[in-house]
Amino acid sequence: MLLKGAFSFDPAPFDEISYDLCRRRKDVVIMSADLSKYCQVVRVKTELPEQHLDVGMAEQNLLAVAAGVAKSGLIPVATCFACYITRRAYDQMMICMGSGSGPGTNRKTGPTNIAIGFTPGIANPARIHHQAAEDLGMVRAIPNATVIDPMDSTDFRAALDAAVDRPGLTYIRGHRGDTPRLLDSRQFSFEIGKTYPLRKGQGIGIIATGLGTQWALEASELLSEQEIDHSLLHVPTIKPVNEDEIVDFAFAHNQIVTVENHQIVTGLGSLVTEIISDIGGGPRVKRFGLPNRWAPGGTMPYIRTQLGLDAKTLANNIAECVR
Amino acid sequence: MRNDHRILDLEIMAARIRRNVLEICRQRGGYAAQGVALADIAACLYFDELRPDNEGWYHDRFVLSNGHDAIMTYSVLAETGHYTMEELRTYNADGTKVDQSPIEGQLGFEITAGSLGQGPSQAAGLAWGLRQQGLDQRVYCLFSDGELQEGNVWEGAMFAAHQKLDNLCFIVDNNDMQASGHAGDVMGVEPVDDKFTAFGFQARRISGTDMAELLDTFEEARNTKGKPFVMICDTRLWDGIDCLQRALPIAHYTAQSAVDWDMGMKEIETTLNRLETKRDE
Repeated sequence: MLLKGAFSFDPAPFDEISYDLCRRRKDVVIMSADLSKYCQVVRVKTELPEQHLDVGMAEQNLLAVAAGVAKSGLIPVATCFACYITRRAYDQMMICMGSGSGPGTNRKTGPTNIAIGFTPGIANPARIHHQAAEDLGMVRAIPNATVIDPMDSTDFRAALDAAVDRPGLTYIRGHRGDTPRLLDSRQFSFEIGKTYPLRKGQGIGIIATGLGTQWALEASELLSEQEIDHSLLHVPTIKPVNEDEIVDFAFAHNQIVTVENHQIVTGLGSLVTEIISDIGGGPRVKRFGLPNRWAPGGTMPYIRTQLGLDAKTLANNIAECVR
Repeated sequence: MRNDHRILDLEIMAARIRRNVLEICRQRGGYAAQGVALADIAACLYFDELRPDNEGWYHDRFVLSNGHDAIMTYSVLAETGHYTMEELRTYNADGTKVDQSPIEGQLGFEITAGSLGQGPSQAAGLAWGLRQQGLDQRVYCLFSDGELQEGNVWEGAMFAAHQKLDNLCFIVDNNDMQASGHAGDVMGVEPVDDKFTAFGFQARRISGTDMAELLDTFEEARNTKGKPFVMICDTRLWDGIDCLQRALPIAHYTAQSAVDWDMGMKEIETTLNRLETKRDE
């Protein structure tokens, strides 16, 4: 499922993904709140301006206008930084975009509403205000919402393709800037909820999502060099996840480790422990990710090192779980 | 020249809507004072302004932003035949489908409107999306003066004016009343018309209870090009039922025990008889 050899980088994945989608689907509108350039929405804005809508620096308006656009029959893809699109406009995300479709609402299938949060977690260098370390947990709490944290540009493209055909609210974490191509698109086919085994072994089972899957792959290399047997499962869909696949993976290992670019509170780690503890008698789960305290700012390598999420420390800490 | 018969018919309809509001709210209480005050606007909107489609609904779109004013929508949709009074008497009851503040997708309701201040932006997005698709549908959005305290309303207004959405008409229920008292005392929002004018709207300030004035204003809205329109309606709670306006001038939510419903109903019946007699002359 993974590409072999040295991997290449996508310098601006969403520019191409959004442009290709808009060329193919005339009913899609890419929306911005004064951050189109910073979310790498360039070609759509300049070449397909009728499919681009900027609401100015107003995130509540971004999502409320998007919900209105959806009710007109078009498909809004609201883009912004993860911190603003979730924290700043959470009520609009939940009520305007998220309450019109699915069980408990008035419609089995309502309008499609898509929100993409860029530079999530420590992908943003500016600490506290720009770092969304809780967005997955926030959106996961919204009934009927779909939440996806893709690991690379292939995953990202496939997630958005799936979202445009899905009624209700979908939140996707976006990748910006040099993004590695890791998945082999010839072998990888994205399905909402599906989990992807990237390495099969015994003993330690690593479950990762988003950028955390990239970090887990780096740690996996080091663990392999040390001949520490392990598996790695990529879980792009945080909600609705295929719980059976998580359970099968977890109970096939002695020790579960989760890795995420998100607080270990309310994110993937929480999700996995919830699923396993509901059954009981499962393996111990050790969660790696951002702590429930303010993370430092700076470059990604610096922040990772500070938080013990650099490949070497992460690999050591994973190995430590079974020593 | 306005057709007097048309105005009289709409006034009769408004009286019938007021009667429905009381009949529904007397079961368990509700937002009766607002429903009564908005009856003229509702009659004008649903029986004159919104164009019907071929499927038993409306071609134009109405977005209710302040969910508690749903009582107005229910009461008019009882007259259009989309709800029965039997259904509507379950308003506010446990287990009912007739939510006091409705959820998106319920017949008559475009958005989930209980979190206030989110209607104008959604209506503006809807108007933009319809225009973008070359559709001629118009969008009407009702919200209250209390909602003007929410920043999201002004973000939506800025967007609507920037996009020159002349297929959009805002209707402000400027009743100077919110949950804790007079809006002017809680957090003043005036001058509402000047504020919208400054934002780039064509603004018109009216009573909201004079049928001829309402018809003229809706017509002006339709004829306004290149900018969105707002009508600021200076309604007062219980407008149209004098005895209740005197007895309970500041009720935001009307408890079942707070009002002499029979007294209000008697006044409506008297008005209705007078109007119907005039019509039949």
